[in-house]
Amino acid sequence: MNELRSRLDWGAFAPLRLRARSVADGVYAGGHKSPRKGSGVEFGGHRVYVPGDDLRYIDRHALMRHGELLMREFETETDRDLWLFVDASASMSYAGPGSLGPKYGFAALIAAALAYVAVRTGDRVGLDFLGGEGARSVPARAGREAFERVLGALEDVTPSGDLSQQPELVERALSQAQRAARRGAVQVVLTDMLDLPEGTLDALAGLTTRGRSLQVVQVLDPAERDFPFEGAVLLRSLEGSTSVETDAALSRRNYLAALAGAQAHVKRHLVPRGGRLLKSVTSDAPEELVRRILNPNVEPSG
Amino acid sequence: MSFVTILALGLSLFIAAPTIAHLLRRGRAREQPFPPAALVPEARATTRERRSLEDRGLLLLRALIILGLALLGAGPLVQCSRVALGRTDGASVAIAIVVDDSASMRARLAGEKTRFQRALEAGQDLLASARDGDAVALVLAGKPARLALAAGTDLQAARRALTELSPSDRATDLATALSLARAALTSLPHADKRVVLLSDLAGELPAEPMPNVWAPLPELAAKIENCGVVSAEQNGTRVTARVACSSEAAARARTLQLVGKDAKSEARLVVRGGIQSLNLEAKDAGSVSVELSGKDQNPADDRAEVAPESRSLALAVHADSAREAVATGGAPLLEQALHSLAIGAPVRPLSELPREAGELSGVAALFIDDPSGLTPETRTAIGGWLEGGGVAALFLGERAHDTQLGATLEPFLRGAVDWERLPSGGGADPTTFAWLGVEAQSLVDLAPKGRSRLDTALLPGAEVVGRWSDGKVMDARQERGRGLLFSVGLPVSVETSDLPLRPGFLALLDHMVGEALRRRGPQTSEAGTEWWFPAAGSLQVIGPKGPLTQREADGQRLVAPDVTGRYAVSLGGRNETRFITLPAEEVLATPKGELPATWRSPRAAGAPLVDASPELGWALLALLALEIATRVLRLWRERRSHGAIDPALP
Repeated sequence: MNELRSRLDWGAFAPLRLRARSVADGVYAGGHKSPRKGSGVEFGGHRVYVPGDDLRYIDRHALMRHGELLMREFETETDRDLWLFVDASASMSYAGPGSLGPKYGFAALIAAALAYVAVRTGDRVGLDFLGGEGARSVPARAGREAFERVLGALEDVTPSGDLSQQPELVERALSQAQRAARRGAVQVVLTDMLDLPEGTLDALAGLTTRGRSLQVVQVLDPAERDFPFEGAVLLRSLEGSTSVETDAALSRRNYLAALAGAQAHVKRHLVPRGGRLLKSVTSDAPEELVRRILNPNVEPSG
Repeated sequence: MSFVTILALGLSLFIAAPTIAHLLRRGRAREQPFPPAALVPEARATTRERRSLEDRGLLLLRALIILGLALLGAGPLVQCSRVALGRTDGASVAIAIVVDDSASMRARLAGEKTRFQRALEAGQDLLASARDGDAVALVLAGKPARLALAAGTDLQAARRALTELSPSDRATDLATALSLARAALTSLPHADKRVVLLSDLAGELPAEPMPNVWAPLPELAAKIENCGVVSAEQNGTRVTARVACSSEAAARARTLQLVGKDAKSEARLVVRGGIQSLNLEAKDAGSVSVELSGKDQNPADDRAEVAPESRSLALAVHADSAREAVATGGAPLLEQALHSLAIGAPVRPLSELPREAGELSGVAALFIDDPSGLTPETRTAIGGWLEGGGVAALFLGERAHDTQLGATLEPFLRGAVDWERLPSGGGADPTTFAWLGVEAQSLVDLAPKGRSRLDTALLPGAEVVGRWSDGKVMDARQERGRGLLFSVGLPVSVETSDLPLRPGFLALLDHMVGEALRRRGPQTSEAGTEWWFPAAGSLQVIGPKGPLTQREADGQRLVAPDVTGRYAVSLGGRNETRFITLPAEEVLATPKGELPATWRSPRAAGAPLVDASPELGWALLALLALEIATRVLRLWRERRSHGAIDPALP
């Protein structure tokens, strides 16, 4: 176990246990409203009746006044599961020149902080990985022990594997979550969105059913965001066999445009289905990112 | 070469640094892991093209800059092709520049420049490197060698004198030229004296090595193929030309043609090196010139004027053959002595002294041995002949004491001459015969049985040129018109003395014959031959390049034609045509290029060094400007390229 842990240079993101708590302490830790509409005490609005709805919640006043069948909905303070999916493929081990650490380290820190927040508010936390050596999924549980198990699982993984060549890894993790996650569960996918196999976006979109929310956090290295290279470079991807020889100065503009295009493509798939894409780099403040994940109304500063 | 110089030159090794850097850069691009590599557009062709074109230019520029810096650091001791004056500890130098203006220096080097022009350039380079205080003398090595500029510190005058030099068709006279050069420097106070020999060395060097002689132009020894017309004479309708070729290759496929009105005769050269005679048939006796077909590396000697067949000037001898034959068993001693001089001129015996001037036509010198006086007719004939430039020598014996009635010894001497017996012998004073050279010593113990007393018989204007040991006159000479008279107080007879058997006698005859040929002037002579004329009367000599300059020497006028061709000589209203021909050795001699190893001295050699710092400085500035311009151009191209990229989205 220790040997496996030592294979990843966590950089500024270690030790994960302390850093995760520190990040979580800096984040708003109050109760959060469930997006689940149903029986409760606080009115949450109307919707059109559909066959099968509980007749107890038909708004009689509206029926008499307008002659329409409208259902009354209520918001309720309730337990919600937090499902974390961390991309542990080889590309997540990348740390560019001058960065604080590998992308996986940053993603693990965010995941651990989210898990800590959830555990402290009594929610259940589950974890699964996309690829990675030594990866093991953690079923959703509540309590301090659950947090410890999440931490252990995060620390035991070494980023490796080529997801583009192993689509079953993605499929397995996401389909398992689709089965295990309850209605109203919050699902957070921490990935660089690079070298993912075809159909991944559709599989992610499938997670938004049954009132479950999906937030895809794209974790990039600052070098991937800025393309800071100079002169002639031979760029080799960590997954697949892509090698590109180019003049950095000549290619920078086109690369940045391609990256923005790819991000827009992801957004186009997720947003109409209730999903959300958050962009981040490993140099971002983790507290800020966790706050953005927890509160959809918080927009990124700057 | 000092350590600093070696160190500076060692800097040039740093040329390898940008080369290595360039080679490294020419390799694969820097490899970088980059997960989103698939989003990066490939620009390999552009990258390689840019590296290969612009970086190579920069590499060359930087290598040149480093090389320039290394040379600059090594200056002024960098050797280059320019000839310059090295000096020891900055001291002034005295140099005698010997410029070879012989015919072989007309040969063309690569680039259409002649050897002579290259020599002049080298001379100017030398003078350019001279400083105030340096002394320069200028000597010409064309035969006869001449001092063109006496040693002096006026460098401007030396430069001017150098520019005024022109090539000639003279033979080469390196030995005399080197002696002159050394003599020119003798009186100078400079400690460092050198002789710079700007020659192809196609001539004989002195047998003994001379110190501090430097021949800095080995490139002049480049082998050339050349044929030249040495001479051409016409006898009747036949033109005989002598052609010299340096090698077989030079003679291959070449012909000699007659050039003139309606002249079409030609003859093919025999394919061999050396001299060959060719005959051409002319239509009339007025042929103009002959010319070699084809081209070689010395076109200046491919054409020659045709001279009428030379009339050999004879030496006339009047001696008592009957008496002499008893002693020699053959021709008189005087005749035999003249033959032994081997000058090529025919010796014509005269049984009787001439009575008319016409009898001496074609005679250059007249030798009369022990006459018993000269009759009035003879005196008139000799007098008129002398005015035209003849040289007459009178050897006086016992018979002159008993002159016949009406006969005198004029125009040699006045009246009669006494004969004096000398029982105790006696000899000549060698100091008074010094003009004969070392042979004068042979006249010291002459011990004649008698002698003619010339003291009282000398005419006004006569010059005593030799005396007996007791101070009496033994030999006298006297100018008469263009002619010259010699009077010797002994006969050419072994019965009186052994004078005819002594080297001094032959030297005396040689001097007389030389004077005769000089005064008569040959019809055909080699370039550089001096023509002497009497000071009196008008004189004009017009050659291929116009009138020739005359100069005065020993009371006579001297003209030295040095270019082959036809010369019109007008002297006192009398006109004649003379021809200057090419010395054959100028075609045949092989240039040596470098001095023998025994000649090389440390001080003279190794001096072709020059401070090229100013030129290098300018070159470096130019290279730096080019580097900056290249960088600006590169930046501009990059910016233009960026602007041209289409930000296509995937």
